[in-house]
Amino acid sequence: MSKRTVEFNVGRNPEMGVDGSVVDSPILPFDMPEPDLGTENMLINIGPQHPATHGVLRLVCELDGETVKRVIPHIGYLHSSFEKLGEYRTWNQIVPLTDRMDYLAPLIYNCVYVMTVEKLMGIEVTERCKVVRVICMEMDRIFSHLLWLGTTAIDVGAFTPFLYAFQERERIYQLHEAFTGARITTSATRVGGMMADLPEGWTTGLQDFLDTFPDTLEEIDHLLTRNQIHIGRSQGIGAISAEDAINSGFTGANLRACGVDYDVRKDQPYYDYETYDFEIPVGQYGDCYDRYLCRMEEMRQSVSLLRQALERLPDGPIDVEDPNISLPSKTDCMSDMESMIHHFKLITEGIPAPEGDCYMPIEGSKGELGMYIVAEEGGTKPVRWRIRPPSFVNLSVLPKLAEEHLVSDLIMINASLDIVLGEIDR
Amino acid sequence: MTLDETKAGLDAVEEGPHLSERSTGSLDGKIDDPDGHPSVVALLLRFGDSVSGHRVSAGTQHVVWIDSVRNLEVLHWLRDDQDHQYDMISDITAVDYGAGRPIDVVYQLFSTVHKRALRIRCELPLDGLEIDSVVELWSAANWLEREVYDLFGVTFRKHPDLRRILMPHDYEEGHPLRKDFPLRGRFSRAEQTRRALDQSVEHSYIAEEMDLGRDPQQAAPIIGTKDGDG
Amino acid sequence: MEEGRARMGLKDVLPGGGTSSVTGGMFGDGSPTFLTSKIDWIINWSRRNSLWPMPFGTACCAIEMMASAASNYDLARFGMERMSFSPRQADVLICAGRVPYKLAPVLRRIWDQMPQPKWCVSMGACASSGGVFDVYSMVQGIDTIIPVDVYVPGCPPRPEGLIYGLMMIQEKIREESLSRHFEHRAEDPSLVARPHANDAQVVGLTGPFGNSTQQEELSNKESGATEEPPEELIP
Repeated sequence: MSKRTVEFNVGRNPEMGVDGSVVDSPILPFDMPEPDLGTENMLINIGPQHPATHGVLRLVCELDGETVKRVIPHIGYLHSSFEKLGEYRTWNQIVPLTDRMDYLAPLIYNCVYVMTVEKLMGIEVTERCKVVRVICMEMDRIFSHLLWLGTTAIDVGAFTPFLYAFQERERIYQLHEAFTGARITTSATRVGGMMADLPEGWTTGLQDFLDTFPDTLEEIDHLLTRNQIHIGRSQGIGAISAEDAINSGFTGANLRACGVDYDVRKDQPYYDYETYDFEIPVGQYGDCYDRYLCRMEEMRQSVSLLRQALERLPDGPIDVEDPNISLPSKTDCMSDMESMIHHFKLITEGIPAPEGDCYMPIEGSKGELGMYIVAEEGGTKPVRWRIRPPSFVNLSVLPKLAEEHLVSDLIMINASLDIVLGEIDR
Repeated sequence: MTLDETKAGLDAVEEGPHLSERSTGSLDGKIDDPDGHPSVVALLLRFGDSVSGHRVSAGTQHVVWIDSVRNLEVLHWLRDDQDHQYDMISDITAVDYGAGRPIDVVYQLFSTVHKRALRIRCELPLDGLEIDSVVELWSAANWLEREVYDLFGVTFRKHPDLRRILMPHDYEEGHPLRKDFPLRGRFSRAEQTRRALDQSVEHSYIAEEMDLGRDPQQAAPIIGTKDGDG
Repeated sequence: MEEGRARMGLKDVLPGGGTSSVTGGMFGDGSPTFLTSKIDWIINWSRRNSLWPMPFGTACCAIEMMASAASNYDLARFGMERMSFSPRQADVLICAGRVPYKLAPVLRRIWDQMPQPKWCVSMGACASSGGVFDVYSMVQGIDTIIPVDVYVPGCPPRPEGLIYGLMMIQEKIREESLSRHFEHRAEDPSLVARPHANDAQVVGLTGPFGNSTQQEELSNKESGATEEPPEELIP
């Protein structure tokens, strides 16, 4: 497996510990003999409505001056009980629910859900469908990382990358809309295939995007990567060692920034990812700056993956040709009674599943995204639908990362974890 | 399609499918072919008496049922043994089948060293929803077990901070993901709205936080006045 | 009830701020004059063209709200680019996204902290009515909690939709008048931190609808759960 350590020629503080120990950075207050004053720690509540918490997250902090002694995150302010709602919906009716969890990368969630159901049912999708889903997932990885980039930059005070990132996101929104009809809540997949095939000219649109996007990425890179302020605010902040990271359940770019080359696309591959040529960027120090570098590089790798996928996009049907699973075409439905009834039965009754359970992990934009489905024999609705949200486990590490940092560093660490509350709270 | 079949199709909207004969989750000790997964083979050899079932699900995924009293020991061995080294816990969750059946706690393990995944399930009877916590093995289990407690009511012994995570900390309607919990909740919407808008400060903070720093509503004494040090 | 006398009372304040027995405004019996209509025009013009939104963004709609503020759709054209995250400095609360019961007191508190004049836009299906989430944890429409002026449907509404909703707020402001000042700005102090809708209204607004009434069967038929809504709900 190929991995590339992201090294960067910006001088790092020589007192940096590679094992992730907190370093002396000129921003931290230095120790001086304390005068004989009584001091108390202060309780501060950040959120749940706050611009910098990336959603409705509440952080209760105990501060000694500006230094965070403890932070207790509270979640649940967006709990929409998707998992319970899924128990009352048939397999295809759950697809629109999946968009609303990670609304920053809806196609990834659409894909992983139907991949889990198909694995449970033993359905093998067509080659074209596989490549189209890879295209969707990689495109949404870029989509999600762009938002992360924009909002993280805003959190440290840089407004321009936000606008550049959102302009690029508009182009992906237009691709979403051309394919699925909706900008964010795409609901593009169905069990056994996709809601529809790619429209005419869509691949040209994606190709245009891929031709110009790397230049914009370079512009943003130019603004942030060697930026003194950005470096000062992110190097040495929120570092964690590789062993702690694995034990705490960190996945995704957060884990790769610590030097661990775990990427589900390489370690538990799916949809022929082992045949694509791409690299996993891996950092060294596990701090915010490395997470930033890893995600920037991931975007470039996704561009390369998308180009390869577009080249190998085969012709053929997009839905699996099994009448028990795939709907007949609309033309047939409207012209012939059997197709109409077939359509009706599939929509109202649903697809019966075999008994069993299935856990399907993929590399989502935030980390290892897994779905776990338990079904009963002949069941058209899941008995249990569990989403393993990467942000949930990533956020649980925040108290450990933010100890002995300043309050503004806490904001940066929170931003660098790339969390989305929709999937944390489900 | 005859009219009867159409009507049967229409009725199915309300009824749902007819289910096959119910089997218990653990398959009564039945062991599928364990070859192909070295950890399952080793597990059967070493902890054979605690294994109550094994199955290969969804084609390639191995699931092993373990006695819930020995979960910590088995998972400890799985994490530390050199041949297995399941250093990453991907997920901890629970499954409630309803109808009085036991609740299964599910551990999804992954080894970054050997690139293998394994699923361990422990059955808990409804009147004994307690199991040892594995936070000492993987700190990722902290929040994952809190969520299982919140949504299913399973108590994890020796968990450092077992309290609700997704629902409000003083939520009284029950444990939502249980099958006997209705989709729209147990209280009426009016009651839920009223309870939600209980506005005391103590409502927003947990007991531990009220001890942090100073009481948030208390103003600092002004030095120089008779309230301060003067 | 004397005509021609400004009244400061808040008798019979209805939810939504309308009153039934208060008449008159700051300048007498309420009939418009040349002076009041010019002053109205200036005040309304300045208010509607510099609305500072309070973005109470929770979920997917918040992303569309951010997209509205970004370059392509650009809320700055309306004077709304200064998103005020402090409610004390905000004019219009845009509730973008689903609001669970755990978040409801926060929303109410933010609304209470906003000084008058204030308006509210409920953006999206989830904020307006609960959306797809007719579940135990979701507020079935924020109008049970705070008074809403404009509802923007959609899941999520396109940025053009949000802009249309904000333009409707501007239209609403255009119609305001100082002569009806107390009517517009009426707020019942006893309703602070309490829900905007009383019990009967909540029941009317949040009954199960459409799919919720039919989708009650689980895949597991012998769950032992009686899925019809409990008759005797705990009051």
